Amino acid sequence: MKMTSTQHETQAATAATGEQFEPKIIAFCCNWCSYAGADLAGVSRLQMPTNFLVLRAMCSARVDPEHVLRAFSKGADGVMVLGCHPADCHYIGGNYRTRRRIALLKMLLEQYGLDPERLKLEWVSASEGVKFQNTVTDFVEMIREMGPNPLIEAEKQHKAERAKYGH
Amino acid sequence: MSNDMGAVMVVGGGISGVQTALDLAESGFKVYVVENKPSIGGVMSQLDKTFPTNDCSMCILSPKLVELARHPLIDLMTLSEVTEVSGEAPNFKVKVRHNPRYVDMDKCVGCGICADKCPVKVPNEYDEGLMERKAIYVPFAQAVPLKYTIDEARCLKLTKDRCGLCEKNCPAGAINYDDKPVEETVDVGAIILAPGFDAFDARLKREYGYGDYQNVLTSVEFERFLSATGPYGGHILRPSDQEAPKKVAFLQCVGSRDSNTNEYCSSVCCMYGIKQAIIAGEHTAGLEPSIFFMDIRAVGKEFEDYRARAENEYGIRMLRGTRVASIDEDPDTKNLYLRYAVDGEVFEEEFDMVILSVGLEPPKGANELSQVFNVDLNRFGFAGTDVYSPLSSSKPGVFVTGAFASPKDIPTSVAEASGAAAKAGAFIAEKRGAVEELDIEEIDVEGQEPRIGVFVCDCGINIRGTVDCPAVTDYSKNLSNVVHAEEMKYACSADAQQRIREVINDENLNRVVVASCTPRTHEALFQSTLKEAGLNPYLFEMANIRDQCSWIHQNEPERATKKSMDLVRMAVAKSRLLEPLTESKLPVTRSGVVIGGGISGMTAALDMAAQGFEVDLLEKTGELGGNAIKIFHEEDGRKVRDFANELVSRVSNTSNITVHLNTPVEDISGFVGNFKVKIRDEEIETGSIIVAVGAKEYVPKEYFYGDDKRVVTQLELENKMQQGPLDAKTIAMIQCVGSRNTEAPYCSRVCCSNAIKNAISIKKENPQAQVFVFHKDIRTYGFREDLYKEAGRLGVDFVRIPEDQPPELSKEGESLKMTARDTILGEDLVIRPDMVVLSTGIRPNEDNEELAKMLKVPLSKDKFFLEAHMKLRPVEFATNGVYLAGLAHWPKFVDESIAQASGAASRAITVISKPELKSEGIIAAVNEDLCDGCGICEPVCEYKAITITENPKNPEKKKAMVNEGLCKGCGGCVAACPSAAMEQRGFKNEQIIAAIDAALEESE
Amino acid sequence: MAKKVSIAQYWGAGCGGCDVALLDIDERILGVAEMADIAFWPIAVDTKLKDVEAMPDKSITITLYNGAIRNSENEHVAKLLRQKSQIMVSFGSCACYGGIPGLANVTNKKAIMDYVYNKTFSSINPDETLPQVKYQAPEGELELPVLYDTVLTLDDVVDVDYYMPGCPPAVSLINEFLDIVEKHVKEGADLPPKGSFIASQKTLCDECGREKSYEPIDRIYLPHEIDIDPEKCMLDQGVICLGPATRAGCGAQCLNANQPCRGCMGPTAAVEDHGGSMLSALASIFRTADNETHLSEDDILKMMSEIKDPLGTFYAFTMPKSIIKRKVTERKAEVSE
Repeated sequence: MKMTSTQHETQAATAATGEQFEPKIIAFCCNWCSYAGADLAGVSRLQMPTNFLVLRAMCSARVDPEHVLRAFSKGADGVMVLGCHPADCHYIGGNYRTRRRIALLKMLLEQYGLDPERLKLEWVSASEGVKFQNTVTDFVEMIREMGPNPLIEAEKQHKAERAKYGH
Repeated sequence: MSNDMGAVMVVGGGISGVQTALDLAESGFKVYVVENKPSIGGVMSQLDKTFPTNDCSMCILSPKLVELARHPLIDLMTLSEVTEVSGEAPNFKVKVRHNPRYVDMDKCVGCGICADKCPVKVPNEYDEGLMERKAIYVPFAQAVPLKYTIDEARCLKLTKDRCGLCEKNCPAGAINYDDKPVEETVDVGAIILAPGFDAFDARLKREYGYGDYQNVLTSVEFERFLSATGPYGGHILRPSDQEAPKKVAFLQCVGSRDSNTNEYCSSVCCMYGIKQAIIAGEHTAGLEPSIFFMDIRAVGKEFEDYRARAENEYGIRMLRGTRVASIDEDPDTKNLYLRYAVDGEVFEEEFDMVILSVGLEPPKGANELSQVFNVDLNRFGFAGTDVYSPLSSSKPGVFVTGAFASPKDIPTSVAEASGAAAKAGAFIAEKRGAVEELDIEEIDVEGQEPRIGVFVCDCGINIRGTVDCPAVTDYSKNLSNVVHAEEMKYACSADAQQRIREVINDENLNRVVVASCTPRTHEALFQSTLKEAGLNPYLFEMANIRDQCSWIHQNEPERATKKSMDLVRMAVAKSRLLEPLTESKLPVTRSGVVIGGGISGMTAALDMAAQGFEVDLLEKTGELGGNAIKIFHEEDGRKVRDFANELVSRVSNTSNITVHLNTPVEDISGFVGNFKVKIRDEEIETGSIIVAVGAKEYVPKEYFYGDDKRVVTQLELENKMQQGPLDAKTIAMIQCVGSRNTEAPYCSRVCCSNAIKNAISIKKENPQAQVFVFHKDIRTYGFREDLYKEAGRLGVDFVRIPEDQPPELSKEGESLKMTARDTILGEDLVIRPDMVVLSTGIRPNEDNEELAKMLKVPLSKDKFFLEAHMKLRPVEFATNGVYLAGLAHWPKFVDESIAQASGAASRAITVISKPELKSEGIIAAVNEDLCDGCGICEPVCEYKAITITENPKNPEKKKAMVNEGLCKGCGGCVAACPSAAMEQRGFKNEQIIAAIDAALEESE
Repeated sequence: MAKKVSIAQYWGAGCGGCDVALLDIDERILGVAEMADIAFWPIAVDTKLKDVEAMPDKSITITLYNGAIRNSENEHVAKLLRQKSQIMVSFGSCACYGGIPGLANVTNKKAIMDYVYNKTFSSINPDETLPQVKYQAPEGELELPVLYDTVLTLDDVVDVDYYMPGCPPAVSLINEFLDIVEKHVKEGADLPPKGSFIASQKTLCDECGREKSYEPIDRIYLPHEIDIDPEKCMLDQGVICLGPATRAGCGAQCLNANQPCRGCMGPTAAVEDHGGSMLSALASIFRTADNETHLSEDDILKMMSEIKDPLGTFYAFTMPKSIIKRKVTERKAEVSE
């Protein structure tokens, strides 16, 4: 496999500091399916990386695109929105609203220059502890590959520009 | 609660028992639920997905189990059985034996350390023996109650007096090896039997080699294969070599429709077979499922669609009319050779895996149940019931529900379960009670600076074994507004609750954060502790540092500790902004309106009236009785129309039912508990509405109907037969006229049985008559299979025709000529009938749309009324307080309509039996200053809880209004609101954002 | 107390429309002239920056600053005027939210320079020479303002007292503000609290009289694709209208001209991200399909792709004030460039 120079850089950086990049991930989980699936992963002692923090919402439809944007602006390297499978929603069709918003939001993120893959919508049922584990693990690894949220770097540059010209 | 509250005993804790118990408790009765296993949940808890929506079974069941366990009026008795019943309704005395659990339920917190330490491995019943559990165990992760049980047959201590590891390691001191059976006698007014079913033992079909061939599985086992919690984590692998199979055969009717095993049809296997084939295909790329079946009995709502999709979209190979004769195994590859015949030709085909769709049998203890409760069983060993009283056993006051009376699917079981509750409630209606409310004055925290207490739970070693709990506690102390932080061994124990109450009072806490396990199981417990201490229960927040931290990061103690700190910081950040919430109370008009005066409507009205409620029964025609008045044939030895007439007179003689004939509904306004139904010049106020408007018979346009007198419908044939012997010698019956075609793609469910019933009558009257039945499948499901067999014995000719090629009828001079393709013989059949009987389908009423609009409820794509959830909410709409029964819902038989109508009545009673309804605490609320009535939120709400109304401050302007009685608190409208005018209490934007910001704050 | 006040109006990164808008108050301008001296208004009065620099601090009563902060000169003047003024008004959408110039945040300084000086049809620049901030000309050192990488709003660089959004602010709002000032000057009436918006506190739906159906929508139309019914809600007709998310005060001028709102007034006070809130609202009212359970996320993405340019649609005027603020570059993308 051909390596991108980013990977070279990342690896070089890793070798230099001896530390790999640890992504920070916010996972919104609906109360009835995904949060239950996350709990089941726990009950089943399925091991996964520590890089994510779960925020419980009653329904994935409660997750406002502004919450996702907020998380990115505050430095989240990835955001997951996990809900009930289509037809399973505890609130009948909440997840149908979610999937529309997330699709549109991904289009927006791309325009903002963020890789839309940093936002992941996935359906995890109450019996899918393993799927929760795999979803989290794969996502953490993918984000690790992708590197830090570029907003952080941009903010640093912006601050530098302000420091130079701001007064 | 008062001691003289009416009580009901429910035997069985599967979905039927759970639903019936919840309905009774919600109607103000005390319920004892007796379950012989360690957990409730029944077979449904083992299922992966459910047809026809492919819903996750556990996702929809588990909330009901938790609700049951928490209900203050329900006494759950697991590992228990009824040993003796004396007395008569409503004064039964029931003796219950509680078998020993060997674990003190009050002390066990379900931490699971005992099972970790237990050295004995036992095949797990929940996984059909495909996985292992320990001798001390919970049956499955979501078990209710979540308390461990010692398997007395396998425990070393109990059998050989060795080991004792669980006792030594239990931090709660919950193990009790000296536990003994305890007997208890309870007084109940009525009894409901819901023991469920057992699956057919596939070993009895020796020709299929189950038990000998590793790659032959039963459908119940396969259900565990499909499940993410099953033996291969949801992957489909062959047991012999753990390879993914390619060709998988599903064999239908194993232990059903079989003179050597069970003659009846098990009703559900066709659908679950198709479901398993679809899901298996989705789980494993390249999997090729084949289904071997006789007839596909896709008779339920949207089932026919599901079948069509399986064939057309998922490419599942369907071998119709094909029964596999035998299976042989290749001893080397463990592949399987199936022998079967198609059109007289014998084939042998190789498969990688075979699934036997096993039938449903009466539960193992059915005979004992029949003796203990003194109820009759039918000749198949199921509970004996009558078509006209489908929920009653032979013993007054004892009712049956679910698969115990006949094999049936989940929605029918759930509808019946509610129905049984309505029946049982009638015996004790005057002894209705209510949950007593805790009377503690709430501390006013308004305007106070947050004073947060954080309690960090060790959960024995479950958390502390990985997470540095003292460090997390210290960390919490330094978070702003935290005035108290403390570590606890078990935060959920009784003494911990006492301690939390003390700290709340001593430290004047106005917010509480518990860092322990999951709010899904424990939030309610801590909230009631807050309540007891005088704090509003919504001033509480949990950090899940066990299930979602210590357990999943066992090898990374440092990071798990840091993450626990993060989680606590988030919870504290959110808790700062929490506000006290109140559940508002809405008054209820304690009466019902039933729309439609057929069998369903009358049954529902009578059931509500029997519990003492006033009912207005609205019928748009000039007489009661509906379609049933036109049905002359007999069921269980009695004409349907005679039964309908009896109901009419019972309704007329019931003083609290007011019948309104010639009365269409003009308008409906209001909401649950407070509807206003406008009819003519009157407005009826009511708490709930039942839709039982029925449906109508399809009027054929085909086959010269109306032009030629020799062409009649089945109902007309019945009518003719009342008037004297038929003179026809050759009679052709055509099935699916106006069903299963492009105009109405669904199956009308009843036409097969009705046609066969009439065919039998003709043959009995005149054995010389030739009767042909032209059909695509014969769908005599359940015990109706008897009819099919009898017709065959009497010499009725069944001709299977292709799906897309209906018979053709033409005229040659005066005589009729019928040509049809016989798929079994593979040739055209030509007959000259002197009578043609059309088995016409059932069509929805044309004015359904109008009524649906008034009620704000949806219709299905076939224009029948669409219930809230096809599996678990079969008789109710998403709009609270509106219920559904009978043909308005879907084509069905009389007994099914009656049971469903009782079910709808029961659901309505759960509303109108309460003097007031309580809204949920976590609901949407409109900030009137910010809302300008843009209306984005209105179509987003699935519960029709939002209306855009005139702004009371300025009638020219609009604003959104949330009906607190209807809002379920999902928050979907809140995220949709473009002006931040809509908020979700308990999950306000600022609260969520505080948690997000805290999550991303550096914790060092 | 007919004390004369002095006012200043300045033009940052903007189109000049705001300056013209001030003249749209017609004859009232005479009243303004009567009430106020013009301390500084580059398009109308010949005052030099050094004249302003020479004024005592707080000697200007009110500065109306329009335009975004795009370069060091914009910022310098903003700061200077802040120092010299008692009241600083963020005038127009660009000053308040970045406005149309704020959309430059979808790119960056380097790319803009490269495009403008090297890539346009009319550029003949074989040496790829770019403007320099400082240049030694024979006449001496010449200096140009520094173009910023990120477009900023006025309140990003100075303390702002009042906001008057609009592209340009509606005459009614300007008049409303003049009334306030007049009352303050002539009668000593209190000024509104600092940070107030000189606009409605409601959303545009409050000012728009169109009929709504409260039904979900099936598809999106561009305004030119259908005959828009002037009586019915734009969204009901499938035309994207930012009205529900946008502050009122403009008098629904676009809607009265049968055109949808594009959001120049920005969000109401309770909303943090104008575009995000409208994006969510619009996605939410797309009808649930009959075969919804069989739709994949790709199908949904296709459905939502009817909205061609979410950023340009939802953040046409507010990108620099949005949560994300500017386009960024993923490291992978950087490498491939």
